[in-house]
Amino acid sequence: MGSASKSGRDHKHSEPDEAFNELLKPVYKGKELTDKIDTVEDKWNLLPAFLKVKGLVKQHLDSFNYFVDRDLKKIIQANQLILSDIVPDFYLKYTDIRVGHKSNASPDAPIEVLLPPHECRLRDITYSAPIYVDVEYTRGKKIIMHRDLEIGRMPIMLRSNKCILNGKSEEVMASLNECPLDPGGYFIVNGTEKVILVQEQLSKNRIIVESDEKKNIVQASVTSSTHERKSKTYVVTKNGKIYLKHNSISEEVPIVIALKAAGIISDLEILQLICGSNQKYQDIFAINFEEPLVKHNIHTQKEALLFIGERVKTIRRFGAPKLSKLEEGIEAVANTVVAHITCEDGNDLKEKGLYLAIMARRVVMAIENPKMVDDIDYVGNKRLELAGQLMSLLFEDLFKKFNSEFKMNIDKTLKKPNRANEFDALLTINVYSSHISHGLERAISTGNWSLKRFKMERAGVTHVLSRLSYISALGMMTRISSQFEKSRKVSGPRALQPSQFGMLCTADTPEGEACGLVKNLALMTHITTDDEEAPIRQICYNLGVEDIRFVDFSSIHVAKSYTVHLNGTIIGLTKFPGNFMKLFRFLRRSGKISPFISVFANSYQSAIHIATDGGRICRPLIIVENGISRVKEEHLRKLKLGEWGFDDFLKNGLVEYMDVNEENDSYIALYEPNIEKTTTHLEIEPFTVLGAVAGLIPYPHHNQSPRNTYQCAMGKQAIGAIAYNQFKRIDTLLYLMCYPQQPMVKTKTIELIDYDKLPAGQNATVAVMSYSGYDIEDALVLNKSSLDRGFGRCQVLKKHTEVLKKYPNHTKDIVSGMKVDAETGEPIWQHESLGPDGLGEVGLKVDSGQVYINKCIPVNAGDSMLGNNPNMPNYGMGNHRETPVYYRAPEPSYIDQVMMSTSSNDQSLIKVLLRQTRRPELGDKFSSRHGQKGVCGIIVNQEDLPFNDNGISPDIIMNPHGFPSRMTVGKMIELISGKAGVLNGSLEYGTCFGGSKLEDMSKILVDKGFNYSGKDMLYSGITGECLQAYIFFGPIYYQKLKHMVLDKMHARARGPRAVLTRQPTEGRSRDGGLRLGEMERDCVIAYGASQLLLERLMLSSDAFDVDVCNQCGLMGFHGWCNNCKTSEKVIGMKIPYAAKLLFQELISMNIAPKLRLGDVF
Amino acid sequence: MTSREGFVPAINSSAAAGGFSNHKTYGVKYICASCAATFTLGKSESIRCKECGHRVIYKARTKRMVQFEAR
Repeated sequence: MGSASKSGRDHKHSEPDEAFNELLKPVYKGKELTDKIDTVEDKWNLLPAFLKVKGLVKQHLDSFNYFVDRDLKKIIQANQLILSDIVPDFYLKYTDIRVGHKSNASPDAPIEVLLPPHECRLRDITYSAPIYVDVEYTRGKKIIMHRDLEIGRMPIMLRSNKCILNGKSEEVMASLNECPLDPGGYFIVNGTEKVILVQEQLSKNRIIVESDEKKNIVQASVTSSTHERKSKTYVVTKNGKIYLKHNSISEEVPIVIALKAAGIISDLEILQLICGSNQKYQDIFAINFEEPLVKHNIHTQKEALLFIGERVKTIRRFGAPKLSKLEEGIEAVANTVVAHITCEDGNDLKEKGLYLAIMARRVVMAIENPKMVDDIDYVGNKRLELAGQLMSLLFEDLFKKFNSEFKMNIDKTLKKPNRANEFDALLTINVYSSHISHGLERAISTGNWSLKRFKMERAGVTHVLSRLSYISALGMMTRISSQFEKSRKVSGPRALQPSQFGMLCTADTPEGEACGLVKNLALMTHITTDDEEAPIRQICYNLGVEDIRFVDFSSIHVAKSYTVHLNGTIIGLTKFPGNFMKLFRFLRRSGKISPFISVFANSYQSAIHIATDGGRICRPLIIVENGISRVKEEHLRKLKLGEWGFDDFLKNGLVEYMDVNEENDSYIALYEPNIEKTTTHLEIEPFTVLGAVAGLIPYPHHNQSPRNTYQCAMGKQAIGAIAYNQFKRIDTLLYLMCYPQQPMVKTKTIELIDYDKLPAGQNATVAVMSYSGYDIEDALVLNKSSLDRGFGRCQVLKKHTEVLKKYPNHTKDIVSGMKVDAETGEPIWQHESLGPDGLGEVGLKVDSGQVYINKCIPVNAGDSMLGNNPNMPNYGMGNHRETPVYYRAPEPSYIDQVMMSTSSNDQSLIKVLLRQTRRPELGDKFSSRHGQKGVCGIIVNQEDLPFNDNGISPDIIMNPHGFPSRMTVGKMIELISGKAGVLNGSLEYGTCFGGSKLEDMSKILVDKGFNYSGKDMLYSGITGECLQAYIFFGPIYYQKLKHMVLDKMHARARGPRAVLTRQPTEGRSRDGGLRLGEMERDCVIAYGASQLLLERLMLSSDAFDVDVCNQCGLMGFHGWCNNCKTSEKVIGMKIPYAAKLLFQELISMNIAPKLRLGDVF
Repeated sequence: MTSREGFVPAINSSAAAGGFSNHKTYGVKYICASCAATFTLGKSESIRCKECGHRVIYKARTKRMVQFEAR
């Protein structure tokens, strides 16, 4: 083991993805090529192979790549033409669009980004690439082609195929100041790293059947989403009858009328479509024929269309022609109801009728059997919206706006009667190019997605990438946020769904209000992007599916005949569903169609569903055929030799991607011995049910489940190494651990996500015993000498940014030099750490109250430019006012870096990085990897701590009371494995559902002369006697959490008060007071200490002397009542200023509060 | 970190004044982030490396003695 890890260390720094070379080396983790390959053990090697091609943030990258490479072209095509209302023969046509390179650029030319990403971070600039379009337009009579017209700049996702870091080696990354382990997948906008979180939604264009048993309502709904519009159509029951409901139709339309309007006229056909030959369904549905006939007297399609047309809520756009009632009806049925089904020639509405009929059938089925409803929390009914989709919505909106503004400008110019020279449309296009750039930039930086088209107003789409630790950044990239309201008290969406297995992490979710709504992707997941529908439809027909358009309705619901649905829309019938699926899967497995297309059968609905849409979560599984796993020894050998990658497994039909729906339709064995005759698939590795963050926990399968959840939250707060470029970064706040260590007990996930290269914690020797009484309530006892040796030591780096502004009157901010004492010539105390240039000297200490940027702003910045000549001789210092930046903190800092640059709008930018080194102190928070947090309760000299016969004393003493109620058995096993590892000179594994076995670990302990249970005999450091019990003693990985006393300590005697109320300010940052709150007040009242109450609430807060006129009851002034014009009955007294303020505010709104004073005694 | 955190002790800003301002630039050294060239900058010069024109520069470490408390 030890030699293996050593040989794995010498990287070859030539190819990309060095991180994976180790995994592909002939000797890996002590296993050589000549070793017997055990498929049961070694199939996990598929996982690193998967992560090599897919990576943890691949879903973001794939989505963005799809957007820039394919979706942009589709958007351009959909909005291709700009025509003029004035000159009919004018046109401008977009022919192509590219991001980052010109049309004549060679394929391997670098992407034209303005600056490398790290420079963008430093200079507060957006990391973006130009968007080029090719246009064709008319100038006079000529048609002109123009290539590479820049219409704006697109923010680029890091590591996407438009990023300059894409496919770069570790050296190139290093030369660009980038960390090779950084996952990418985020944007840099104005210097801040922004992530577009994955959004979870109910799937679009699918029928969802729900029932409300209390109200006796069954409804089938479908959210139609097309490029133009988004609408929701319902088929609902009301008094046992079925209706069509849509927002644009003012009342519910009986389903029979709706079907007749869509061209399914005969009652027989309707009955055949909805009920087939099922007697029960026919009985349920029969009532629906009555109303249209008897009440509305509707027989024909025209009558039905008229009926709907009369009920359409018309919102006509200005200038659009007025439609007749019939046309309204046609318009409604053709374009607004179930809008995602398009009727090409406008008249053939049959397909729409078919879709509505199927919705109605689902409703009938749910009436007959209430179990036939869909589960909206089922992961198969969810779609994940990624950065690419959101960017595409935004871009299309901006592009349309851009085009309409451009068109307006063209019309305006063309309207002018006689133009001097021929009109060239391109001369004006550049004016609007900033709109696209700014629109994209603003949306990403604020997170407000407001799209006029869909009336979409979404806030908080983007978040600042948390760089607290490597894990927090990684955890953010796999996070999924739900659209559900947090305030609703429903358990459904928050509960753990069985269908989450392997797709979403079962442990990683926050506690509190967002619990269960924010989820995380599991380790081996992929999110699909859109695929073309048309070829799949053709393949289906080729495989023997009867086209639904040519099928007699009576044969649709015949027993044993299955309907075939493509993305929720019925396309045909098949009599041989099993065969069809087998053939379809064969095509997919042989790589003829995209591996992400899923096909599954629903036997209840007698339907085969094929999905090609984007946003489905899927994961790879090993294919099992005839009870034998397809992945054999030779394949794994090829993988080890590096001849095969994950894609080869996919291509050769050994492994396939399964989405949740298809997974639900297959029989998956967890381990190879479990394979039966009917097994269809084999799990690659069971520990992939956990995500990246939960994967850090050793032996999580031995812990109580909430503990794993707590650790997932805390792992993100641990201080450690952030990235290889951490000292080059200038972040607002950066916590770094001085001597991080990789954990003694690792997991396979830790290696896969490179946590061992950027760790956040240290292996502490822990004694589980009671010591001193300062260890109650999870407090820890720390060894002082360990702290001296650097345990838990960390650095805190804080940034301060200052922009030197330029003003319209040619004045500008300056940094003036330091001030010196008149006599000694030495700098005054406040300016001690300044350099002659007025900026802090790098490396010097700054104490609280000292200046580190001596900025001055012009006094007359607001003046006009006239009469203020900057070239005047006395122009300079006299005109500037000092606005220095003071350092204020309880502890001094050191100036780490002073960076100067210019930001995007040519203003000087100064960033000063201040550094503090902190050693652990009383009250600092620590945690193991098992959700066991605790604060430091006491720091004890090493000589007073217990020691074993080797003279080892613990770094941490943990109270044993932490174990019984928490049931974190994993922590105990971690200790034993860690101890065995220390004695053995090896790193042990605590991988979920695997890892080093406790029995083996105990064996090692015994072999090395220790007790099998990990308990040691210790001597008291104080008396020297041996302790009365054996102590559980060994290494546990401890994390230092970001919550430190130094950032929180606060006390105040007297201090600032709020201006309005004259009460003490609130909060540590404002040096606020410590509030005696309502509950504390209740105690004082109950105790009867009225004078204390008076002192706390008035005298020490906002006491105010007022003069009250006892005659009129109002407040006077200086012993004079202005109301009564006398000083006769004016009495001075003390009231809270807030009370006086209240009286005055009441007076201002015409309510006169009057005070009546009387003698108490 | 929320705005509530971040400690600010009370200071009276009137003490900030006093002393003469010193206008001489003693040739503070700056280092280019790209080519590592060392150079000085005048008051009105733009922030730019004099060798390669790179726009990110760092201030060089001080020549003054710095004493750390070893704990």
